[in-house]
Amino acid sequence: MKALKGEIISNDKISENIYKMTVFSPYMVKHCIPGQFVNIKCSESTVYDPLLRRPFSIYDVEEGFKVFSILYLIKGKGTKYLKSLEPGDVIDFLGPLGNGIKVDDKSDKKYLLIGGGMGVAPLFYLAKSLILKKNNVFLAAGFKDNKFIFFEKAIQLLKINYQFFSEDGSHGAKGIVTDFLNNHIDEYRDYTIYSCGPSEMLKSLKEIFLRNNIKNKAYALFEEIMACGIGVCKGCVIKTIDKDNKYIYKTVCKDGPLFELKEVVFE
Amino acid sequence: MNNFADGRLAVNIGDIYLKNPVIMCSGTFGSGLEYNEIYETQIIGAVVTKSFSLKPMEGNKPPRLCETSSGLLNSIGLQNEGIEFFIQDQLPFVKKLKISPILSILGTSSLEFAELASKIIKIEHELIAVELNLSCPNVNKGGITLGSIPDSVEEVTSIVRKTLNIPVIVKLSPNNDNLIEIAKRAKSGGAACVSLINTLIGMAIDINTFKPKLGNVIGGLSGPAIKPVALAKIFSLYKAEVLPIIGMGGIFSWEDAIEFMLAGASAVGLGTVNFVEYDAAINIINGLIDFISKNNLNNISDITGKVKAGQ
Repeated sequence: MKALKGEIISNDKISENIYKMTVFSPYMVKHCIPGQFVNIKCSESTVYDPLLRRPFSIYDVEEGFKVFSILYLIKGKGTKYLKSLEPGDVIDFLGPLGNGIKVDDKSDKKYLLIGGGMGVAPLFYLAKSLILKKNNVFLAAGFKDNKFIFFEKAIQLLKINYQFFSEDGSHGAKGIVTDFLNNHIDEYRDYTIYSCGPSEMLKSLKEIFLRNNIKNKAYALFEEIMACGIGVCKGCVIKTIDKDNKYIYKTVCKDGPLFELKEVVFE
Repeated sequence: MNNFADGRLAVNIGDIYLKNPVIMCSGTFGSGLEYNEIYETQIIGAVVTKSFSLKPMEGNKPPRLCETSSGLLNSIGLQNEGIEFFIQDQLPFVKKLKISPILSILGTSSLEFAELASKIIKIEHELIAVELNLSCPNVNKGGITLGSIPDSVEEVTSIVRKTLNIPVIVKLSPNNDNLIEIAKRAKSGGAACVSLINTLIGMAIDINTFKPKLGNVIGGLSGPAIKPVALAKIFSLYKAEVLPIIGMGGIFSWEDAIEFMLAGASAVGLGTVNFVEYDAAINIINGLIDFISKNNLNNISDITGKVKAGQ
């Protein structure tokens, strides 16, 4: 982890309210792993509204160009500021942060990736890293509508198997990704599972895995409002349960954002 | 590195000597270990650790954070691993990294503070001072509940002071209307100085769900939004000539630090800024050196309390 400044290479609208920002950073490219994030200052250097930095997961890394990218949805002051930046501008960020996913050098393993909405962002970098090590990857993702067609185009380049769902039927099959999984869970009993998406989706996944007695490892990437991003303020906690059935609040920024689904307590 | 130990920055706050007047506030900097990955935290005048209690505390129900206009509401609830964790697991690294630690402690009664102090005896030579957290607004017992009662403040301060041979700092709340009385009782108990201000009690509500935005309903407000309140509190306590003051509350720049010293602070604490500008301490210390040179000061403490108000 380092406090870094990086030149913006591109900052483009790729769908309604969704942008992709690519940043030059040899340090990040050398050190980051899938599932990690950066904490970006989303205001001019001496302006403090919005006050806190904003965490964004790493969407992609292109080693040859020494760039990494993030996806962001325009939501408030912070993301509006990001949107206003242009190639050549410099962003101030801390990274790479969080535990992330160490992709094993051994290949030929099976991975099931499950995404919901903006939660697909870190799964792209993960899928790409897994494919690079010649693993078998299946991606299932669900969206509200057809705003993520760009994501399907990106995924197609990785040449992995995938299935997309949308609630309104405008992109992929009509339905929700958790229903699909509920019906097909037996096909994925020997897969390692990584998921990222809304809390309700992760909660349903945990229930499906419990109900079907899924023994293999199932992980999820979590998101919370953060302040420090490095584990000191204890602000971004989620409730977990340990082996002795004791509840512990763990920080999403440092203990996570990757947790085993079985240890997370949804309330 | 030498710059940060420029003799003109060295200050005495009561019987506490610091190489420079920049301190990290409790709860915003861990024990300085994480931040040491970003820059050498030994340059800082002192790092006040996260508050440690006798037993581990799990903290409050999330959500614990809510951003407001130029402010941050938190209701962490003093989640910590307990005093033994600091002594066994953190202090060796704090020493190795040459961090100057002020240990913040939190008890729910004078008895607990006494027990905490007795556990600290064996490591007190490693510490610059201890800070008594008598002002956290996010816990039901201890914190502000204890810190708003003058008798308790004096009793707790006195117990810790008598057990230890190192200076005792009392961290005060802006939420009590008897600030000067409390400070006087901290002095009677033997405090070397006070830290002022802890967070202001605040609240935020989600208009869609009608629910408070913090799991604990209320929390403590910090950041630039509270700076004017902090300055006024420090100014009023300085005028009352009770104890030296470590001033804090929304300091984000060296200019802010100068303002706090003019209002009466002998040293300044950086808190929320640590989440926003990771290397704030470096910029602020450098800014103070430039200010000293530009104004031909012998020492930064020359400006403490020198605001020209009503003279």
